Amino acid sequence: MVTRRDVGKIGIAAGLAGTLPTRAALAADGAATAVEAAKQYSGQTITIVWEAGLQSLDPLNFSGPKWKELTGIDVKVVEVPVAEMFTKIMQDFRSGAGAYDALNVIPSWMPDLANAGALEVLDSFVDKYGYRDELMKIASTYRDNQMMVNGKIYGLPDDGDVFVLYYRKDVLTDPAIQKAYKDKYGADLPVPPTTWKDFDQVASLITEVTGGKPYGAAFFREPGYGNFMFQERFRNEGGKFFDAETMKATINTDAGVKVFTDWLAENKYAPAGVEQWGFVENLAAFLQGQTAMTISWPPYGRWAASYGTDQEVMSWVPKSTIAGKVGYAMTPGGHPELAAGFCLSVSSASKNKDAAYLFIQWLNSEAVSLERVKLPYALRDPFRDSHFTDPGYAALWPDAKDYLKALQDGANNGLLDLSVLQTDKYEEVLRQSVSKLWSGEDPKAILDAAAAEWDAITEKIGVDKQKAVYADWASKSGAYPKM
Amino acid sequence: MTAAVHPDRNFKYWLVAPAIFLLLLIGLFPLIYSLVVSFMRIDMMDTDTSFAGLYNYANLFKDARLWWSLAHTLLITAIALPVELLLGLAMAYLFLERMPGRQLFVALLVLPTIISPIVAGATWRLLFDNRYGPINQIVSFFAGERMDLLWTINPNLVYPAIIFCEIWQWTPFMFLILLAALSNVDKSQLEAAEIDGARFWRSFRYIVVPAIWPVMAIAILIRGLDLFRIFDIIWALTQGGPGTMTETISIYAYVQGFKQFETSYTAAIAFLVIAILTVVCTWAIRRMGLAK
Repeated sequence: MVTRRDVGKIGIAAGLAGTLPTRAALAADGAATAVEAAKQYSGQTITIVWEAGLQSLDPLNFSGPKWKELTGIDVKVVEVPVAEMFTKIMQDFRSGAGAYDALNVIPSWMPDLANAGALEVLDSFVDKYGYRDELMKIASTYRDNQMMVNGKIYGLPDDGDVFVLYYRKDVLTDPAIQKAYKDKYGADLPVPPTTWKDFDQVASLITEVTGGKPYGAAFFREPGYGNFMFQERFRNEGGKFFDAETMKATINTDAGVKVFTDWLAENKYAPAGVEQWGFVENLAAFLQGQTAMTISWPPYGRWAASYGTDQEVMSWVPKSTIAGKVGYAMTPGGHPELAAGFCLSVSSASKNKDAAYLFIQWLNSEAVSLERVKLPYALRDPFRDSHFTDPGYAALWPDAKDYLKALQDGANNGLLDLSVLQTDKYEEVLRQSVSKLWSGEDPKAILDAAAAEWDAITEKIGVDKQKAVYADWASKSGAYPKM
Repeated sequence: MTAAVHPDRNFKYWLVAPAIFLLLLIGLFPLIYSLVVSFMRIDMMDTDTSFAGLYNYANLFKDARLWWSLAHTLLITAIALPVELLLGLAMAYLFLERMPGRQLFVALLVLPTIISPIVAGATWRLLFDNRYGPINQIVSFFAGERMDLLWTINPNLVYPAIIFCEIWQWTPFMFLILLAALSNVDKSQLEAAEIDGARFWRSFRYIVVPAIWPVMAIAILIRGLDLFRIFDIIWALTQGGPGTMTETISIYAYVQGFKQFETSYTAAIAFLVIAILTVVCTWAIRRMGLAK
């Protein structure tokens, strides 16, 4: 567990957060408004669902105690693994227990939760507590795409999850490797590669030249993560999930088959057993200098620079051997996945809706969120325009400015996770498909079977019903790349 | 005289009534409620409590993934159960004689059984890891070259890995029960057979097996039922993958019920399992002579 002392180690950032919202200079901001309004609920307790593990250290050790200090409201944190969060939220709602007041919700779940009635519509709270202007300062990708269902606000976007390409500048600019690349392909080695063709050429050449020290690249291949990787790559290859007219699945088109076929080829230049790699395996290999390129969420960049990894709670993160050598860029294709992410919502079954809303407004506010995205252990990533341009953040490590730019570029060009009715059923089919790919089945056969399963799911939900939800999702700016 | 007896007779029913009521509440009520749910169309997203007739049961027959999961369950049971029985029996024989440190060894051998299966599965997953796990390192040592065996992904390795873990964990259970049974076999009968010139296999077949059969049959039945509902080890090792290659009936029911939220359909699956187990258990109990 992180101790108060650990929090203190982060420096001024954490210490300031408690005082920031209370000062007159920020009297008009969302944080100060929330604190003032929440004081009437002093002595009450609100319960918030948060992802188990590092993420929940934010409310447990930082924001929860600070909120209590400012308002007198206790925050009880219910830690739930991501895989069980949706179920727990729905169970609480269906039973009417009202055990949870505030929620962390992955945006792709929002249509299901909103349509079921599990989430409170937040528009009236936003207006009542004067938060609309500040809400609009959230980066447009997240604000326009991850906040509303059918024109109503159900969640405050609170995590700028986006895939980033991390590459070793020292390896890609190594004269021997650059020469070998030019000799082989007759062109300069692109730093960083911006297309998958270039990426594969660079990665395979590095493995070839170095004999795997380091390998050219490695990726998430474990099905849970492979689902996100597929969604990104498939759309960068020009794929569409459904035929918008018939709602027949189109994941088995050439784009889908190409992705799976390319993955099999890419595994050959990656470390053996990459098929099993998830977040931690991929992280360890990259930080230990065993791979020259990888794609992952923003924390990789912070930890590669050794930001905050000296804290006890971060002791599981391998010591970075590549600090100062890492470049950050958008993933090949130029449209990275806004994979997962979190919004803050209020449970419709809550008995403390105002207090719950005020807490999430305070968390999400310009002032407090800036401090939260700097917590090295909390895994919240920049999601406001002000986060990307904050001089304090840009000074956290020598290349932090480049890092923030890559995140902002990614956010501006990012692709939303598929979000329709019962999204997880469609995603489960994708996860199964990735798993089948590693067992040696034919890519086309896998995707044909997956498409048939998607069609069956759509039929069961109702084609017209799903068509309307898909049309709404597909109309969003981040649904498909502008080709 | 009779008037004095009747109040006593009723009083004993009142005494057991709370216990019976509690048993019905926690045992029978959920069962009946699940049966009712299986005739509806309830899922987590849509609470349609209207009567759906045999809709869910009809779907069971069209669901190829369900029948494959049943086949996977039977495959694991068919291999693991006999191996556990034979190994357990062999180990029990080995420890039948008094030897130094016998009690300590027995205690050590039983250790895997007391570990939670999900913990055992997670531990084996680490042991099977191709980068850091010792199993591939040991295999590489004997092979004389680096071996990257993907135990939880490769279709040819995944079943051996699962069955090995299962046998590792539950053979001690068989061992312990059979050791107790063997310890109670009448030694004088064995000595008499030996004096009459009976060889080991003949004594085993006609004296030992009949003597331990009631206990052995119960052990087989318990382990058979356990294997039929196997979940934890496989979930920790493969989550039913690659694809759905190692998905058992319990895993499939879990996926349907708690990941896909198909509540009514899952209830139908549960009743299918109950029906299968009832038939199999009834047959097995008769066949094994346990009903006598």
